[in-house]
Amino acid sequence: MINKIFSATPKNCFLLLICSIFCIFSYSCTQERQPCLTPKIASLNIESIHYTTDTGTIPIDTGLNAAIFGALSTKGLENIIYLQQSANFTISLSPVADSCKWLFATDTIGSFTDTFTFYYKRQLKFLSNACGYTYFYTLDSLHTTHYIVDSFLITNTSVTNNVNTKHLKIYIHPDY
Amino acid sequence: MLTQNILKYTFTLIISLLFVLIASTAYCQTTTDTTKSDTTQQKIIKKDFGGKQICFSADIFHPVYNYLYANQTAYEFTLDYYLHKDLYIIAEGGWGSSNVDYTDLKYKTNNSFFRFGLNRSLLIKNDSNDWDMMCIGIRLAMADIKRSAASYTVIDSLWGSSPGNLPDKSFIATWLELDMGTRVQLVKCLSAGWTIRVKFLLNGKSFNDLAPSFIAGYGRGDKNAVFDVNFYISYAIRWRKETKKLEEEMH
Repeated sequence: MINKIFSATPKNCFLLLICSIFCIFSYSCTQERQPCLTPKIASLNIESIHYTTDTGTIPIDTGLNAAIFGALSTKGLENIIYLQQSANFTISLSPVADSCKWLFATDTIGSFTDTFTFYYKRQLKFLSNACGYTYFYTLDSLHTTHYIVDSFLITNTSVTNNVNTKHLKIYIHPDY
Repeated sequence: MLTQNILKYTFTLIISLLFVLIASTAYCQTTTDTTKSDTTQQKIIKKDFGGKQICFSADIFHPVYNYLYANQTAYEFTLDYYLHKDLYIIAEGGWGSSNVDYTDLKYKTNNSFFRFGLNRSLLIKNDSNDWDMMCIGIRLAMADIKRSAASYTVIDSLWGSSPGNLPDKSFIATWLELDMGTRVQLVKCLSAGWTIRVKFLLNGKSFNDLAPSFIAGYGRGDKNAVFDVNFYISYAIRWRKETKKLEEEMH
C-alpha cells in the first residue's frame, strides 16, 4: 500500500520551497533570445570537376589550389579566397535582387576569370524566433563565360540553408 | 538537423513514457495492495465517500517569472471538481502576452487560453478530510492568439540587408498535455502544489510564416513539444454527501 507521501510537515513544505526556488532560478537564467543553431544564410554549394579530355570520364585531381570567388555587390567586389586546395565551394545569392554575379578564378595568380550570373526566385522563409527570417531561392538559370569553365550542370535548383546539398557542378576546361 | 530532431523527439518520448510508467507503477501497486485483505478493500471503498470538493487554484510561478523576465506575461487559474474514485475534472484558463524586440524581428502577441481535462489521484485517502494528492492528468487545450504587424530584416553582410513587414494576424493553437503533480493541504481549505507538464502542439504547421515566440498556457510557439511548471496556491470548498445516498452507494 502506498502510504501518504505528501503531508504538510515542515520537511515537505521545505522541500516544496526548495523545488520552487530551483525552478524559478533555472527559468530566470534563460537567455533572453535563444541561440540560433541553424545556418541563417542559404548556401549555394559548388563542386568543381576537371577532365583531361573532352571525352574523358576519369577526372584528374580537381582540387583548386587557391580558388577565388568574388561577389559583385553594390558595395563593390568582395572576394572569398580559398587558401587550401579544395574542389567544393560555397557561395550565397543576393537577398536584395533576383540575380547576382560572381567572379571565379582558379588561383590568385591566374589571369583568366570567369563570370557567373545567377537568375533565381526568392522565397521568404521564417526559420525560428532565434534565427529570424531568411531567403531561400529557386535557381532559374545560370549564364557564364568560358575562359576556365568548360560547362556547368545545375544538379539542384532549390537553394536552402542545407549545407549538404550540392547545387552546381562546374567542369574546368580540359586544356587548363 | 534531422538527427537533432530525432534526438529531441526521442528524449521527449522517453520523458513522456516515464510519466506513464511512474503513474502506472503507482496505480498497479495500489491495485495489488487492495486485494491483500478485505479491510484494505473497505478502506478504498470508504475513500470514495469522503465528500465532495471544488477547488480554485492560482498559479504563482508565472507571475514571479514575469517579474524576472519582462518581455512576456502569463496568468493561469484552475478549477477542479472531485467526481468520484480519485477522479477530478479540470478546467483551466488564463491569458498572457509577449513582446519580441530583436534587432531583426519585432512584433507583439497576446492570447487567452482554455484547458479541459481530467486528473487521477494516485494516493489512497486516509480519512474523509484527507485531500492531499499526487496525480497524473491529461488536458486538451486551445489558445486564441492575436499577433501585431511584424517587421523583420534579413541580415546579409555580403549583399546587404533586406527589411520587410508582415500584416497582423489571428490564429488558433491547440495542444495536448500530459501532467503530473502534487497538492498538499497547508491549513484548512488552503493547499499548495506543483504540476509538471509535457505539451504537444497539434497544429504547429499553421505557424510556418511566423511562430509566436510565446503562447501563454503553452510556452514557446516555435517548438512542437515543451515542458512547463506551475506552482499553485489553492482554496477548496468541501461538503459531504447525505448519509442515505452514501449507504445506497455502498450497497
